[in-house]
Amino acid sequence: MLLAQVLAVLIFIVMFVMIITEKIERQYVTLGCALLTLILVFGVGMHSLTAVKDTLNVHSIFTVDFWYQAGEASEESSGINWATIIFIAGMMVMVEGMARVGFFRWLCMRLAKMVNYKTIPLFITFMVMSAILAMFIDSITVILFLAAVTVELASLLKFNPVPMILAEIFCANLGGSATMCGDPPNIIIGTSLGYSFADFVTNTGVMAGISLIAVVIFFYFSFRKELTEGSKEKVDTSTLPTPESAITDKVGFVISTIIFLVAVVLLVTHAMTGLTVAFIGLFIALATLITSWKYIPEIMKKVDYKTILFFIGLFVVVGGLEQTGILEIVAEFISKVSGGNLYMMIGIIIWVSAIASAFIDNIPFAATMIPVIKTLAVTQGVSLETLAWALSMGTDIGGSATPIGASANVVGTSVAAKAGHPVGWGEYCKKAVPATIIVLVICTVYIFLRYL
Amino acid sequence: MEKQLIISISREYGSGGHNIARHLAERFELPIYDHNLLDEIVADKHMNKEKLAKYDEAPRLKVVSRNVRGFSNSPEDAVAEMQFKFLKDKAAAGESFVVVGRCSESILKEFEGLVPIFVIADRDFKINRVMTERHFTEKEAIAAIARHDKKRKAYHNHFAEGKWGDSRHYDMCINSSKLGLEGTIDLLEDYIRRKMGM
Repeated sequence: MLLAQVLAVLIFIVMFVMIITEKIERQYVTLGCALLTLILVFGVGMHSLTAVKDTLNVHSIFTVDFWYQAGEASEESSGINWATIIFIAGMMVMVEGMARVGFFRWLCMRLAKMVNYKTIPLFITFMVMSAILAMFIDSITVILFLAAVTVELASLLKFNPVPMILAEIFCANLGGSATMCGDPPNIIIGTSLGYSFADFVTNTGVMAGISLIAVVIFFYFSFRKELTEGSKEKVDTSTLPTPESAITDKVGFVISTIIFLVAVVLLVTHAMTGLTVAFIGLFIALATLITSWKYIPEIMKKVDYKTILFFIGLFVVVGGLEQTGILEIVAEFISKVSGGNLYMMIGIIIWVSAIASAFIDNIPFAATMIPVIKTLAVTQGVSLETLAWALSMGTDIGGSATPIGASANVVGTSVAAKAGHPVGWGEYCKKAVPATIIVLVICTVYIFLRYL
Repeated sequence: MEKQLIISISREYGSGGHNIARHLAERFELPIYDHNLLDEIVADKHMNKEKLAKYDEAPRLKVVSRNVRGFSNSPEDAVAEMQFKFLKDKAAAGESFVVVGRCSESILKEFEGLVPIFVIADRDFKINRVMTERHFTEKEAIAAIARHDKKRKAYHNHFAEGKWGDSRHYDMCINSSKLGLEGTIDLLEDYIRRKMGM
């Protein structure tokens, strides 16, 4: 067993380092390391075919429970989290369908017009919209469109787009933390621990809601001056592009909007209907493809397969750590450090998750921590839910602190830089770090008061 | 239309490469693109030149950069891409020009009219030039040369295909301290005229 443990840890470290160095595309890194895990850890180290089977987890797809769960959520599984993968893939298809018809651009333009293109109301509206959209749609897509429109409006209305983009990025990450489907760590936490959409909204959602108010106020006072500086000149708003001009396909637009709303309803009610996120993912993907069958090649070409492959490989490598009992050792270590003090334990989970997520990809981090908190819950008698919410908020929020902490940050700053407004670490962190700390403090206090 | 001529001058710090490029531009009556590239780029857009200039000809900092779906958070990447696009667009439009550095020998290599040149110089020659031009002490000059060359090399090798100063990627690598700047310019002019049949 010792050999298998050493190999599992080595493979994991190599994977992490290679993801960070970006010498090789990250999906090849995780898939390559997954293969090594299967051969070296499970084969050479453990001689266990069961471990391979459990980790690949293919059999789970063919159970009724995977698609439909009547009553309480069933036992969580280990290894490849196919529900997460199918759901993310399904959402990607739907989002590409919506992007094709111009939905996101239309929404941004519509809201901009609603506030009469006034900079400060625009700033606040876009922050809130970013958070709300990110509750249901991946944050990369939200920021991709929002930042692009912001840059466009900034150049037309003559204001500096950087503060607005930074605020949008922060709110997208915050919005993502509010729901089960908003951020990849939450999808993984939800599906592997069996929590529902409602569970997330009533717990992390509340924290995200309170934090959003605080963050809007914080960003308003930090950026107020910069935003109003440039916008003194009068701009004739009738020359700006109309929201309707964003729509490329009217029928498709209506259909996409309906599919999106259906997806939201299905997600919100999934604990009542018993339909799992895997089912919802597959359903909305099929609905999108069937209703826009003419554009299937165009949509499928844009789906981000690399991320899906990245996830599959990642789950196998983490499965290696799990099967060899490494993560139990980590859990023991955490409980030792905290000396069995619950406050200490929660604090460690939130803040360590946050600091780690600020610099490394929060997805592998969350995937690794889930078995750890499971063990902690069993051995220390702590409520698993409390630990899960701490992990969720820690990983989701921590990623906001630096330009590389979360995918949305990279995409947002890249869009800004391409438009001639490069954002360095200093400028980014000056506002993002205090905002991150504010939110983390809110979450820590909230968790202490409500659950302990 | 006349044949396209793109003179690409890469250079060690203090070798006088920039000076040579300026004189060649005058002799061939061509526009020159160096740090003024950013002026051209920001001219028609609402951009902040000082901020962009900070990242001009700078390598991306590896540890603090990340790529997501082809997007990069590194400002160095963004500025470099902007300049490369600008140069490629100019070249594709058939324009002739002189360009200093900016990986031009690599990003413009598909253009037939490209004349890539790398200028080096003896150490003492470079130190003396930097001391007189910049009013530096000897120690400062040595430090400046080391610093700038390190940065140029890292920048070049990150964005371009070949290694910085590798003779295989240039028509000519020339030591400007041998003939002096004037002599080097004459020689290069002659070479370019012969090559282009001018």
